[in-house]
Amino acid sequence: MLKMNNISKLYQTEMVQTHALRDFNLHVDEGEFIAVTGPSGSGKTTFLNIAGMLEPFSSGEYLLDGIDVGKLNDNQRADCRNQKIGFIFQGFNLIPDLNLYENIEVPLRYRGIKASERKRRIEQCLEQVGLASRAKHLPQQLSGGQQQRVAIARALAGEPRFLLADEPTGNLDSLMARQVMELLEQINRDGATIIMVTHDPELARRAPRNIQVVDGQLADFTLYQGAQNLKNVAGA
Amino acid sequence: MLLHYLDLSWRSFKRTPLVSMLMVLAIAIGIGVTMTSLSVYHMMSADPIPEKSNQLYTVQLQIMDDGNTWWTKDNLPSQLTYQDAVNLQNAPIPEHKIAMMRSGFSVHIDSDIIKPFIGEARLTTPDFFSLFNLSFIYGGSWSSQQEQTAASVVVISEKLNDKLFAGKNSVGKVIYLDDLSYEVVGVIAHWQLTTKYYDLNNGAFNEPEELFLPFSLVKANEVVTWGNTNGWKHENTRTFADKLQSEKVWIQFWALLSDAKQKQAYADYLLAYMQEQQKLGRFKRKVLEYKLRDVNQWMQYNNVVSEDNKILVGLSFMFLAVCLANILGLLLAKFLRRAPEVGVRRALGASKRQVFLQHLVEVAMLGALGGLLGIVIAQVGLLAVRQSYSYYESLATMDITMLLSAPIIAITTCIVAGLYPAWLVCKTNPAIYLKSQ
Repeated sequence: MLKMNNISKLYQTEMVQTHALRDFNLHVDEGEFIAVTGPSGSGKTTFLNIAGMLEPFSSGEYLLDGIDVGKLNDNQRADCRNQKIGFIFQGFNLIPDLNLYENIEVPLRYRGIKASERKRRIEQCLEQVGLASRAKHLPQQLSGGQQQRVAIARALAGEPRFLLADEPTGNLDSLMARQVMELLEQINRDGATIIMVTHDPELARRAPRNIQVVDGQLADFTLYQGAQNLKNVAGA
Repeated sequence: MLLHYLDLSWRSFKRTPLVSMLMVLAIAIGIGVTMTSLSVYHMMSADPIPEKSNQLYTVQLQIMDDGNTWWTKDNLPSQLTYQDAVNLQNAPIPEHKIAMMRSGFSVHIDSDIIKPFIGEARLTTPDFFSLFNLSFIYGGSWSSQQEQTAASVVVISEKLNDKLFAGKNSVGKVIYLDDLSYEVVGVIAHWQLTTKYYDLNNGAFNEPEELFLPFSLVKANEVVTWGNTNGWKHENTRTFADKLQSEKVWIQFWALLSDAKQKQAYADYLLAYMQEQQKLGRFKRKVLEYKLRDVNQWMQYNNVVSEDNKILVGLSFMFLAVCLANILGLLLAKFLRRAPEVGVRRALGASKRQVFLQHLVEVAMLGALGGLLGIVIAQVGLLAVRQSYSYYESLATMDITMLLSAPIIAITTCIVAGLYPAWLVCKTNPAIYLKSQ
């Protein structure tokens, strides 16, 4: 479903060049749930932004559902993002002026879905995340966990095949984090492909597939784990 | 989607009411000032008689002998001598023509209530009313026979009829002008005139006269002109008869020439007339000159809209530009503060074009609100202008064109001011804001 071949991302200023991603290769099959871990600054978020077509890449090939993303213009990328991808962010990123119903409606409006169909989907998604009774509430009237559930409902409303989650539980306490994780697992069981960036090893362990990003590249998981163990021993 | 963008714009307005109101106020003040000067300019330069402005021609003849100069830009006198006016009035062509001059009288009637007052009058030929599209509420113009016999008849304005006869039908009633009595034969309906194009000698924006009398009375009653009399050589004009025979110019003359053929025929006639007059010792010139100018050309020739007015309109537009520069700054601040929200919208599928349009709709809404408030400010400005100078009474108003123009100018200029901020916000990289929000 997602194929990245030799993807590189170079940030360039007058003084310095930074390789955020370097010859990054990843294949993701439909229905997978992948946890992406790695140290801060390793390129996890850059990978996620490129996967979500929020940022262009410098070189390489990226195929999403067979579509060569590198050949799409801005409007086509926006359309593709709207049709195929759902986003869940650490900071929820709900629009404060819009109530829950309207927040979930945003991607559906850009897709040009009729009002009656929008209503059906929004009510269904709010039901799914357990917030059906709070449709008219503003985001600031909800707890962090509830806000993240709204963000998930917004991502689900577009019925995406591909869900990108960047530290979805980063701002939540453990109880709420567990609830959100259970929700993501349920969504995955329903058929969506999920890539989740996280720092939380417990959450990462719950994902069927783990990948590590180190210095802008996919790390050999075994080698990386061995190095970590050595470091722990030395530290002890 | 447009309604959705309008809804978002209104929410944005409510979210930052102070900044939004400041922007609306800045637009409104700019539009108010611009529309005040533009409305006056528009009324000044408007075609006063669009149905026939290209058929009504004023006549200028070069009466000066060679070697003399006039102060007009083409060296031609703006008026005619009495003898030329009478000769042209009696000419076989064109069918409809008007000789006229401005005068005035002490007006009174047999009444204990109404005191005598000074009234402005126009002595003219009967075609005056039909050629300048005047309508009568009572009676009509005097006849050709009454014109020829210098009958003591008068047509009065509706306003004067209201004053003297309480608005009742006054046809057949007698009024006194100086020491002579005149029978009222007609009352014209209110004459809404922005520019007194038919006689620009004593102010282009004065009110039309209230009394209209046969032109033949000029000679019969030796009526003195209240307009301009200009000469180009020394002449002995001790008596009124001397003045009538002189080369002094003091009569205005208009002709209705419906098409190019009629205009050419009349031009040929004028040339032939001057050649004929040369035989009588007048028009001592090698090259005979004349000019036929239609209404708009006549207004332009007389600089009805002065350079000062044009400069004022230019300055007011510059003031609007300053207001818009301020709005541009406020819009930049407002839109860029919203970049994180735009990042979210872009991530959720909004294209740059959709984000750009959303923000343009918002500036258009601000422009529309500013335009509406600007109309109110312009009305106050125009009221102040009207109260400052009485001759601006009919000029300092907003007609429907100006009323519709105000929001259009406001919206257009706001969109121009909003293009850069909207473009800037739509091209922001969403990825930057999604993580940092």
